[in-house]
Amino acid sequence: MLSPPPVAAREKTGTTAEPLTEPLLALQGVTKRFGSLVALSDASLDIMPGEVHCILGENGAGKSTLCNLIFGVHVPDQGTMRFRGERYQPSGPSDALASGIAMVHQHFSLVHDMTVVDNVILGLQRGFVNTRSWAQRLDRLARDYGFALDPYAKIEDLSVGERQRVEIVKCLIREPRLFVLDEPTAVLLPDEIAALLAVCRRVADNGCAVVLVTHKLAEIKKAADRVTVLRGGQVVARSDHPAQEIDALVRAMIQGDVKSLDKSAASVLGVVEAGAAAAATTPPESPATEAVQIDGLTVIDSQGVTRLDNFTLSIGPGEIVGVAGVEGNGQSELAAVLSGMTAPSRGRIFLGDIETTQLSPKQLTAAGVGVVPEDRHAVGCIVEMSVAENMFLNRLEDFTSQGFLRHRALVAAARELMTRFDVRAAGPEVAFSALSGGNQQKAVLAREITLPKLLFLLAAQPTRGLDVGAVAAVYNHIRAACRRGAAVLLISSELDELIAVADRIVVLYRGRIMGNCAANPSERERIGAMMAGQAA
Amino acid sequence: MTDVATHKPRSWRVMPAPSVVISIAAVLAAGLLGVVLIFAMGVSVSDALAAFIQGTVGTPYAIAASINRSIAFALVGIGFVIANRANLVNVGGEGQIAVGGIAATAVALYGHVEGLPAGLAFLIPLLAATVAGMLWGSIAAALKIKAGTNEVISTLLLSFIAVWLLYWCVQSPVLLRKPMTSSATLPESLEIPDATKLPLLTGDYSFPVHIGLPATVVIAIVAAIVLAKTVFGLRLRAVGFNPIAASRAGISYSRMVLLSLAAAGALGGLAGGFMLLGEQYVLKDGFSSGYGFDGLVAGLLARGSIVGVIAAALLFGFLRSGGINMEMVAAVPTALVMVIQGLIVVTLAGAAYFIGRRP
Amino acid sequence: MTWELFAVFVGSSLRLAVPLLLAGTGELVSERAGVLNMSIEGMMLAGAFAAAVGAWATGSPMLGLMICVIAVLPVALLQALLSNTLRANQIVTGIGINILILGATTLAYREIFGARSREQIPGLSKWSPPLLGNIPYFGEAVFQQVWLLYAGLAIIALTALVLRYTSIGLVVHAAGAEPRAVDKSGISVTLVRYLVVIFAGFMSALAGAFLSIGDIHTFTEGMTRGAGYLAIAAVIFGKWTIGGCILACLLFGAATALQFQLPTLGIDVPNALLIMLPYLLALLAVGGLTGRQTAPRALGEPYFRR
Repeated sequence: MLSPPPVAAREKTGTTAEPLTEPLLALQGVTKRFGSLVALSDASLDIMPGEVHCILGENGAGKSTLCNLIFGVHVPDQGTMRFRGERYQPSGPSDALASGIAMVHQHFSLVHDMTVVDNVILGLQRGFVNTRSWAQRLDRLARDYGFALDPYAKIEDLSVGERQRVEIVKCLIREPRLFVLDEPTAVLLPDEIAALLAVCRRVADNGCAVVLVTHKLAEIKKAADRVTVLRGGQVVARSDHPAQEIDALVRAMIQGDVKSLDKSAASVLGVVEAGAAAAATTPPESPATEAVQIDGLTVIDSQGVTRLDNFTLSIGPGEIVGVAGVEGNGQSELAAVLSGMTAPSRGRIFLGDIETTQLSPKQLTAAGVGVVPEDRHAVGCIVEMSVAENMFLNRLEDFTSQGFLRHRALVAAARELMTRFDVRAAGPEVAFSALSGGNQQKAVLAREITLPKLLFLLAAQPTRGLDVGAVAAVYNHIRAACRRGAAVLLISSELDELIAVADRIVVLYRGRIMGNCAANPSERERIGAMMAGQAA
Repeated sequence: MTDVATHKPRSWRVMPAPSVVISIAAVLAAGLLGVVLIFAMGVSVSDALAAFIQGTVGTPYAIAASINRSIAFALVGIGFVIANRANLVNVGGEGQIAVGGIAATAVALYGHVEGLPAGLAFLIPLLAATVAGMLWGSIAAALKIKAGTNEVISTLLLSFIAVWLLYWCVQSPVLLRKPMTSSATLPESLEIPDATKLPLLTGDYSFPVHIGLPATVVIAIVAAIVLAKTVFGLRLRAVGFNPIAASRAGISYSRMVLLSLAAAGALGGLAGGFMLLGEQYVLKDGFSSGYGFDGLVAGLLARGSIVGVIAAALLFGFLRSGGINMEMVAAVPTALVMVIQGLIVVTLAGAAYFIGRRP
Repeated sequence: MTWELFAVFVGSSLRLAVPLLLAGTGELVSERAGVLNMSIEGMMLAGAFAAAVGAWATGSPMLGLMICVIAVLPVALLQALLSNTLRANQIVTGIGINILILGATTLAYREIFGARSREQIPGLSKWSPPLLGNIPYFGEAVFQQVWLLYAGLAIIALTALVLRYTSIGLVVHAAGAEPRAVDKSGISVTLVRYLVVIFAGFMSALAGAFLSIGDIHTFTEGMTRGAGYLAIAAVIFGKWTIGGCILACLLFGAATALQFQLPTLGIDVPNALLIMLPYLLALLAVGGLTGRQTAPRALGEPYFRR
């Protein structure tokens, strides 16, 4: 039965009749504010020992805040937490760790130039460090849970999936009673996801409770014993039989029907089969002239490691090509070269007939290249400056007169753009930092798409961290750009997104194109295999 | 395409938000401590204060000297603020003043400019001073662009080098030292020709404020307008906040770094030129001593505002004059002024925590 | 150049490098953990002053040494407070402290000693290791040094060992590269950073003491003359490794020693240029002579939980 909000200690009505057990962790009426933003409001939930408990919710629903409160990173403004029956008021991660709570964060906290074993030892050992014995322990532990780990590898040499395993081992070696994972599957290959869920199951079977935070329904179906649904910072639903109540859970999560969702956006949630959300645009059969040609692009970094290897691709006008692959396989380097931030070691890029390989960002913008970067805050915008300034940062010449800035014209133009693209803010002159993530992304998109003649749009992970509404908006704008004839390269680690939006997909693995195929749900397994390094 | 240097963390912005109250409070608190120290040294506070006042506003000459000093501080401070918009910290004011002074003296003495008409006799040495300072600042800019070198260290080291360069210039007869007529000849240059000396505002040597004053006021106004109203100022700010995003938006990081540090250096050089051509007339070892730091602190106190720089520069100009007189008359070492300045900087830096910082 | 002159050169290079070695090692540890101390210069000067006054007042250089360490402690704590707790700009606070200390030590010196500088102060004694000191020709010139030098070298060696083989080394490295990793392991980043700043202060105090009561047995106003900044440049030059830092300090020491050495060889270079040489070298060093440097990722960035 899907049940609504608060009650104190609850009985577990599972398939096997079990005696009443005390919850391992009980939150009661917890509220957390950040300035004027209420991240979590009157949240109550309990976690039973030995269960896999999923926290379901959209981006921005408060899931990460909840985890951070449990782990002691933040302190609740109101409400209480009880762990193993006792008042639990951690003032920091050390308190949480001491109580037996361990957490794997979305963004790993690993020291890049240290080895795996050194990273694990951090905080566990005092005095002289006996690396060898720790390495052996690590090895054994990893095997127990069914995966392999080289204790002497340096973090910077590991793939994202391997790094996550290090984070997991860091937690498990402390033999925790509660194990929290915040959106762990976002960075994994399809079969790595299955392996992770298996590890969670094993951990739970050993008596440790697992809290799995996710927005993917497929994971809920596979792994969850119980589910708590968050929306807008509040607990809106619970379920003790999540696999049977998926539809109701979705409704609770997005406050609406699945039907009303943009198909592509819904597919990202895993709500709808991606095939049902086939691309709205029909790509031209064989384009007369290629809009974008990338030929043999190679990037070798300062340490001599080849990050991108002989990348060759053509995109026709109005076509959306997706680049699939787990993060860390060359996507960042590809985006950096295409946006003019770094020079390739080899290879050439053509926009129509013009070679654009050595062009600076300024020249690329003038030539009609728009870029929505992966890391919005680092590359896409300047949060301290105003919305208006951000939206025209690459076109300030249009508002220059004798060296002076035509401020009023800038603000008026920004206001118009904000309305067109539904960028919600108090006004064009507020600081960019005041906008929500979704609105910031819409603003960046607005800036890039409204280039006078947009020939090529590069969008890297454009919907990461956005709620369903913003996701739908982003897709609509990308499709609109296509209709006007732009060639689009969509880099995303969300396979569902690519299948739903792109016309065809190429797969990157270790910097090389493993193969390409149509963006069809039937190709999903093949793509997954390529993402894992198996040639097409 | 340049590889943009790694993004300096936000906390390296020198000061967060304008808060005049804190600045004034810091100055008052430090001043109060100064008085306490004077008392602790056993010197009569009233004697010291009397000497201080005498040194600052006691005679027209004293006032003029204070104003002339403030000019140098103001220029260095304005340069500091300009560079700081781009999140660059120029600590090399003293060195830039020194090379400016060297260039001005060299051109004035040996550049055959005395005969030139219509003020060129002093304008050309001033220009030389400005260019020298600009080049000195550009070295740090080049290192930053090419190698990502921290400009604090590079401008500081350049400052030390410039000071020793000055020493060499006045010590060496081959360079700028005046001909040694006896073993007691001081290591300094000849006096510059009258034509190359800056005209005084009043023409009266008992109130020797030179044309550097209106020039500095004009420079300050121009700087304020440029920073606030021009696209260049906007681009400078963008680069200061986020050089990578600015670069992606087509703003040239290297150009902004070069222009801002060159500007800061140029202003420092100009300050040196004013000091030589307007007051001192003779190049001496150590003439720039302390001026760099005073200008720096004025820039810090101003918290990004040009008006603040003027106010702080005036404050320090008078403070220094007062300090010198206190030492001569009431035996209070000028080091006391340094203590006060250090306290102001430390207090302001620490106070940033309590105002406008979101944790 | 004869062997004797060369031995003298090596000996003076070592002697002149000691303050840099000590201060540099302290700053290295601090920067590895993510804290930049521009105030090394001020702490060295404070140490020099405190050691001189302490030795003069008590008549015992050993007591002077202890007093100097105790005196620099509050300065280090102030820098740590400003950098870590108040999250102030680390450059600005460093320079502010330097100005403050320069003024305070000059003021105090004038008050205590009047205008007479060159007051004789009891200094630390020299020592030379048993066999090495007796090598003919250069044993004495090279190895007969103030004992603080040998103690300093021992501390530096110990520091290197600790950084490499103990958990403290791991924590320091992590605090500078990825402070979140330290925080999420349950260790207080703030505490670590306070401790490294205090260590830097301790080493700077020793460096300053070496200058005043070790080397020239007197105190002069502003006697550090930028040595603190040279130490920072040495850390950068050495790419934040102990070995590199030591080499850089020795190089700067040798450059400074040239000032006294070249005249004895009859080579006539203007004194100013020789004095300038270490700073020029340091500038070339930080200017990328040795390739682009990679600082610890979190250097200069105060840490707080988001």
